[in-house]
Amino acid sequence: MSKNKGLFRVSVASLALMALTAWGLPQAAEAAEAKIGCAFSMTGGAAAYGATQKNGASLAMEQINAAAGAGGLKLKLLFEDDASTPQQGINVFQKFINADKVSMIIGPTLSNTAQVADRIAQQSKTPVLAISNTAQGITEIGDYIFRDSLTEGVVIPNTIKAIKAKLGIKKVALLYGNDDAFTKAGYQAFKAALAESGIQILSELSFAKGDRDFSPQLTQIKGMAPDAIICSALVEEASGIVSQARQLGIAQNVPIVGGNGFNSPALIKNAGAAAEGVIVGAAWNASSPLPVNKKFVEDYTKKFGTPPDQFAAQAFAGVHIAYQAIKKAGDPNNRAAIREALTQIKDLDTVLGPFYFTPGRDAGSQPVVQVVKDGKFVIFGM
Amino acid sequence: MNVLGQQLVNGLFIGGVYALFAVGYTLVFGVLDILNLAHAAVFTLGGLMALWLVQNAGLTIWTAFPLAVLFAGLLGLVLDQVAFKPLRRRPDTYFSGLISSIAMAIIFESLAMGVFGAHNSRFPAGTVPVVIWRLGGITITLLQVEILAAVVLMMVALTQLLKRARVGKAIRAVAENQHAARLLGINVDGIIAFTFFLSSALGGAAGILFGLYFDALSPDMGRPIELKGLAVIVLGGMGSVPGAILGGLAFGLSEVLTVAISGTSNLRDAVAFTLLFGIMLVRPSGLLGRGRLREA
Amino acid sequence: MDALIQFWAVYGSLLNFMGINCLLGLSLYVTFSAGLLSLGNAAFYGIGGYTAGILTTHFGAPFPLALVAGTLMAGLAALLLGLPVLRLKGVFLAMATLAFGEVVRIAALNLKVTGGAEGLINIPVITQTWMIYLALAGAAYFLARLHRTRLGWAFQSIREDETAAAAMGVNLTLTKTLAFVIGALLAGLAGGLYAHLNFLITPGEFGFATAVNLLIFNIVGGTRAWYGPLLGAALLTALPEVLRGLGVTAGPIRLFVNGLILLLVILFLPKGLMALFQRRPAPAKG
Repeated sequence: MSKNKGLFRVSVASLALMALTAWGLPQAAEAAEAKIGCAFSMTGGAAAYGATQKNGASLAMEQINAAAGAGGLKLKLLFEDDASTPQQGINVFQKFINADKVSMIIGPTLSNTAQVADRIAQQSKTPVLAISNTAQGITEIGDYIFRDSLTEGVVIPNTIKAIKAKLGIKKVALLYGNDDAFTKAGYQAFKAALAESGIQILSELSFAKGDRDFSPQLTQIKGMAPDAIICSALVEEASGIVSQARQLGIAQNVPIVGGNGFNSPALIKNAGAAAEGVIVGAAWNASSPLPVNKKFVEDYTKKFGTPPDQFAAQAFAGVHIAYQAIKKAGDPNNRAAIREALTQIKDLDTVLGPFYFTPGRDAGSQPVVQVVKDGKFVIFGM
Repeated sequence: MNVLGQQLVNGLFIGGVYALFAVGYTLVFGVLDILNLAHAAVFTLGGLMALWLVQNAGLTIWTAFPLAVLFAGLLGLVLDQVAFKPLRRRPDTYFSGLISSIAMAIIFESLAMGVFGAHNSRFPAGTVPVVIWRLGGITITLLQVEILAAVVLMMVALTQLLKRARVGKAIRAVAENQHAARLLGINVDGIIAFTFFLSSALGGAAGILFGLYFDALSPDMGRPIELKGLAVIVLGGMGSVPGAILGGLAFGLSEVLTVAISGTSNLRDAVAFTLLFGIMLVRPSGLLGRGRLREA
Repeated sequence: MDALIQFWAVYGSLLNFMGINCLLGLSLYVTFSAGLLSLGNAAFYGIGGYTAGILTTHFGAPFPLALVAGTLMAGLAALLLGLPVLRLKGVFLAMATLAFGEVVRIAALNLKVTGGAEGLINIPVITQTWMIYLALAGAAYFLARLHRTRLGWAFQSIREDETAAAAMGVNLTLTKTLAFVIGALLAGLAGGLYAHLNFLITPGEFGFATAVNLLIFNIVGGTRAWYGPLLGAALLTALPEVLRGLGVTAGPIRLFVNGLILLLVILFLPKGLMALFQRRPAPAKG
């Protein structure tokens, strides 16, 4: 008997739990305010990247709302943490789409999460603007998925061509993270680009996310005497690789070459003098002389005490792109019109340069190749 | 040959850090037969505390180090009081202790994240002098030598403490049999608290050295080493202090040699864990067996 | 009615995840009920998921067949693993199964057929909520019945006292292996269902963190009856979303509250959440 009673109480408790959850659902949006859902990783493996995305996005919101004045369209960004997991990413997307009734979604931070969560948005015809997914196949999910982040597939071939032309690199060692979708995609892009340029790969070595010690791999690399070290890593690992390589005595004239993941002031801050000469192919150049970019870097540094990284820049640009589209669509609740407006964005003045979406809804901005010189990212070969 | 020589130096060094982490881990297991899964979080907070003292309080690393170690030790006392002591008389103390220590680890990590942010921080340049020796193609840094010296020093001190000091003998008595120890007039709760203090202080010290050497501290820096630390203490024999040292070195060398021999590192962790798995089957009690803490 | 549809739209996926995690909680519960502490069930979950997913994605196998194959593959892996490791006890068994789990995860990262770090992509989305809850109901019914059978009794006697159980004629090796394999079958089933839920599975979802989560489901929920782990799994899966719904801001504070709740449950509910749902024994007289 007591068993049945137990079961009954379990059911009551589950219902209570559901009620409690439903109670937390927010109310519908007010007029003249557009809600954008920002699904960022604020805890878990990608927390460091989600944090600067949030900074970049909230700075954009403040400036937009200040400029909008009394009668203008205002933005309200809702930030939710997907804990760097696909499961919570899906939950966040469902909440944004069905409970908060957002105009569109910005994010998620990680490509793996995007692979599953973006499908939910596509099914319910909610526009998504990816600001950091660089893996293949994200925008192919459907016609509601856009991105302002240049893929490794665009950035890397450009970088490899530049180093071959300017430095005459012939043989390289390849070092990459093999348990992360981003670094693995970068590895494949590097490999293809190297093959195309006829550069020999002496060896391929990998590391795991969260590794701090890269000396075993770098020792092997040093023994092979490559012309350059090609590296697909995110900045947390990249700084360690760069400083340990120099410490192990790999000469400064053997450049270390990285992609989007390297494009952060943290690389220079954490690797110090060892970062000099590191070549970084990326979607954004911090020292770009565009007025909008100069102002962004200044404002961001003033507000948060550290200079922005590429994640922040792409988030900042993303909010501006989204705002333009929503404004043009005329109705924050008309998601189809917002999607349409996104496709028509042209020559928008962003920190990433003049911006438009390609027919495949990918970023139409230009990749850059940079080199670290005197503690700054400057355009390579200038 | 230089490559192999350098790899052996690399392996010895990282193995030493693993060993220091694992010694504290295994100490608690040896005394209480429970795994303290918050050890990695204490490791992290120890490192971050030293960073804060150097960066924000302007201390030199020589003053910051003992203070941060003391802080980590105090965290150990908190752990004991909050997460373990209330559960001690329960029949399922082993499992519940496991979970409560996970809960504390989550709380510690969230605090670290709240205070320091999720990103990597590093000690200001010049915290320790950078001196690099190159001996016939093998690179050794002064910091590596200092860290290994610190590891050896702490290990010797711990072994002597357990072997000779009054409190060390009491720890061994409690590990052997809590009831008997109580009958002998030993303050069992006090000894357990002290063991936690000691264990966490060692874990914190490992975190500081780790952070100094790899120059990257973050709230989740303990995660990769948590699993490896577990492997190391099992490899060496749970509860055995010399075993943890041996296990740490063996684990470090196996990682490095996998990379050196296979030329790739995809299988680095797979080899290490297969090795662990194999040893568990052949010698379930680990390389040095159990109960060494009791004999010390 | 509208409210219900709205609720479903927002929390449909969460309910799916809760069901999957409940199945996983049950999977460890079986193993646990024979006194075996396994950290390998996350790997069995992965083996089931990858096997079923690869069969439907790469070989066009029908879903029911793939699901059965994934379940059986996990069971087979448990059988092969169990033969050598089940003579280990307590934490040593936990460590051996943990090592196995890591090797499985690293294999999934490095094999071509599993898709590596990017995960197995393009799995057809077939799993429906009712399938998950049907499987869950079946598993729960089976375990509730098992409790009263000879095998269930054998599990319990091993958990209480292995030596005494052997003396009473319980075949230790056979019984433990059965507990281990049944647990793995359930995990494999959960894996197959999970793989066809979201189009993608990645190696990271079957690692150490998941293994520990299963343990937490059991301890927090309670391990003395089948509905304990269900409670633990349901509550802990919903907790992040409940906190989100209550407006606990994103970031470290959510992590903190999660940890705190876990700590409070373990400190103040020694028998797990299920203690809340049992009649209190009448106070002893005298």
